[in-house]
Amino acid sequence: MKFNLFEKHVEEEAPTIQGTGFKDKFFKFYHNYTFVFSFAVLIIIATYFNPSFLSYGNITLLLLQSTIKGIIACGMTLVIIAGMIDLSVGSMVALVGGLGVVVLNTTGSAWIMFFFCVAFGTFLGAINGLLVTKAKIAPFIVTLATMVAFRSIIVQLGQGGPFNVDPKVYDSFRLVAAGYLFRSDNFKGIPYMAIWFVAIVLIMAFIMSKTKFGRYVYAVGSNELAAKLTGINTIYIKTMCFVITGLLVGVAAFLLASRLTSITAPNVGMSYELDAIAAVAIGGTAMAGGSGLIVGTFIGAIMLQMIEGILIAAQIPVFLNGLVKGIIIIVAVVFQSRRERKA
Amino acid sequence: MFLEMKNITKKFGPVVALDDVSFSVGEAEIHGLLGENGAGKSTLMNVLAGTFPPTSGEVFLNGQHLTGLNAKKSFALGIGFVHQELNLINDLKIYENLFLGEEITNKWGTLDKPLMRLKAKEVMKKMNLDISPDLQVAYLDTSVKQLVEIARALLFDCKLIIMDEPTTALTNKEIENLFSIMRKLKNDGVSIIYISHKMPELFSICDKYTVLRDGKFIQSGYFKDIDEKIATQLLVGRSLLEAEITKEAVTGETILSVKDITCKGYFENISFDLKEGEILAITGLHGDGRGELSEALFGARRLDCGQVILRGEKLNFRHISNVIKKGIGMVPRSRKERSIIKDMSILNNMATAYFVGKHKKAYISNKDTDRLFEENQKKAAIRVGSRHDLITSLSGGNQQKVIISRWLEINSDIYILDNPTQGIDVGAKFEMYKIINGLAENGKSIIMFSSEFPEIYKVADRCLVMYKGKINAELDRSQLSEVDVMYYATGSNMEGIKNEI
Repeated sequence: MKFNLFEKHVEEEAPTIQGTGFKDKFFKFYHNYTFVFSFAVLIIIATYFNPSFLSYGNITLLLLQSTIKGIIACGMTLVIIAGMIDLSVGSMVALVGGLGVVVLNTTGSAWIMFFFCVAFGTFLGAINGLLVTKAKIAPFIVTLATMVAFRSIIVQLGQGGPFNVDPKVYDSFRLVAAGYLFRSDNFKGIPYMAIWFVAIVLIMAFIMSKTKFGRYVYAVGSNELAAKLTGINTIYIKTMCFVITGLLVGVAAFLLASRLTSITAPNVGMSYELDAIAAVAIGGTAMAGGSGLIVGTFIGAIMLQMIEGILIAAQIPVFLNGLVKGIIIIVAVVFQSRRERKA
Repeated sequence: MFLEMKNITKKFGPVVALDDVSFSVGEAEIHGLLGENGAGKSTLMNVLAGTFPPTSGEVFLNGQHLTGLNAKKSFALGIGFVHQELNLINDLKIYENLFLGEEITNKWGTLDKPLMRLKAKEVMKKMNLDISPDLQVAYLDTSVKQLVEIARALLFDCKLIIMDEPTTALTNKEIENLFSIMRKLKNDGVSIIYISHKMPELFSICDKYTVLRDGKFIQSGYFKDIDEKIATQLLVGRSLLEAEITKEAVTGETILSVKDITCKGYFENISFDLKEGEILAITGLHGDGRGELSEALFGARRLDCGQVILRGEKLNFRHISNVIKKGIGMVPRSRKERSIIKDMSILNNMATAYFVGKHKKAYISNKDTDRLFEENQKKAAIRVGSRHDLITSLSGGNQQKVIISRWLEINSDIYILDNPTQGIDVGAKFEMYKIINGLAENGKSIIMFSSEFPEIYKVADRCLVMYKGKINAELDRSQLSEVDVMYYATGSNMEGIKNEI
């Protein structure tokens, strides 16, 4: 078969779309990693209020304090990148944590409690996911409903009161969250909590950047129809985002139970969904889905904790915490949409 | 001169979208504005409609110097803009859309619905549009939506109407209707700026032309002084000399046979065979069920009955990923909605199908994807700066090539192309035909859905013409002519049978 459309075809030069100079590189970096710059500014402010801010002890303390919300925020990042939202994480922490304490008290084994928390969290996440993908209800509605439902179950089970860790296992279980690795007389050690946090961040970051599943999450959040038409099983991906969030909430609930040694059903995990969303927003993830980084959420969670510290140091009344957080979320999202408009 | 735009320059940051362009339109004149995608047509019209101000330059309307234009002011001056993308709100009724932002109120300050309905009815009658103004826009066909959009410009007695590719979604009959309305308007003294890629339309409706290329003014004059060949040359700035197209008969074995597939409400009893190395075009008019058929063949739409046999084996449509693994690739229509993943890089957009169909490892290695990118960039001649830039930084033609490369990588045997050249410029279209023909030469089979005859003529070995969800005719290459295709696409033969009975 002989076929020739052109007798002559002029090849064009490849257009250079973006400059390669240092200035362009810098702006590109700034565009993608705005959170790094706000983080730097915040460190300067924090150091102003507390000169020993950058000491080893303080940094590990900061990591330890931001662990639980940070782990939840990692799951929230997936859900938001996929273009959805999960409002039920706070109540889920209470439900999983409360029942986890019951399991601990009856079996006396922290390991069994850990596996229970992970499995139960995964199960609750799957409920959210299946309601969104199979029953085709908007994520906002599904998780708003499960948010009140989960809370109500645990409050009823605890008759409005707390689930306390049994004194028999109290001392050993407390060490899960309060313990340090490599602790010695001249070394403060690494808090177990921080190890949990960093390990989960690394695993999640790996999943999001280096596996097919991660790519699919971005694709679904950016353009679900196009993702479906390249053969991606969008229902599976969206369900899995909730399942993974549930799993991480299970881990967080386990750690929280150890940290508090008591789960007060009516108020534990209250507004954690807000903190998680705030961490994700500050970390530069697009609220409309399609882009974002786990590392950003990691930094975001730490920044949120730093802000709380600064408020105390600056002697701003603790009741105004909510106001400040609200403003921060708005500012982060405004910055984000301005970036998008420029792009 | 009725409208004069003098020395308009518009910069977006470092990008010069318009470079010292002058443009004028006379009274009661239909003026064709020509240019490839990215030539600056839309930017120029947006300056006129007040969407954004020019960096420098002046606009005169009826000798009056217009300054500080914005969308509202420009509309009040009688400049109506009928956008390419529909600007209607689906949840509102037709008349509510028509009067959006310009609602008529009665003496109590509430909406005067009866009056608005009446006026809407009047203007729709003028446009030969016989539907109730109370219909919700969501239920209208795209073509009717387009007419509603135009009706809005008529409603407010615009003296100058800008039409940005208004015929994309229209059938020939609807285009004729639109043209007769345009002629009527012209007789009433209205001027129209008409933007289109379709030469026959431009030559039949427009008086004058202006050509833009790369943001610069190229030439202006009367259509009667030029022909389509000259116009194309002005447009692309290089000559696309077409060689005589000769195609030999396809001798490959049958790879795919479609048997009586039906999807109720869209198409019924579709059957055809596809050979190795064959390019089968499927054409028809708006609303013939072509789009749905293309989706169904890829497993994106459930079949009510019938089956598809691939290499002697019944194809399981349960998951699209299964269809992909069996060797079918698809380039969907409406690139923006159906194929581009806008937040992802060029590389990742190219690799999505590879991940689904071929990637087996636990994690993604950069070496793998870089190799994939380099190979396919060469195969499809994609012009990019950096592979890590967002796909949206590319031109339409290059975006489409990235989408085709998705399937080149996993070496699909059958390519379903649904309107593959939609919204890309002339040069890129020709390159696309080259890719398609190249694929067929290498023994790949192609099903191309298209509504543009010249395009079908350039590539197809065989053509199926659909009419109201059924295959109305099968034309071999030797029988392929625009008249015949139109004859069957409009169902002229079928009406004949009905009359005899």
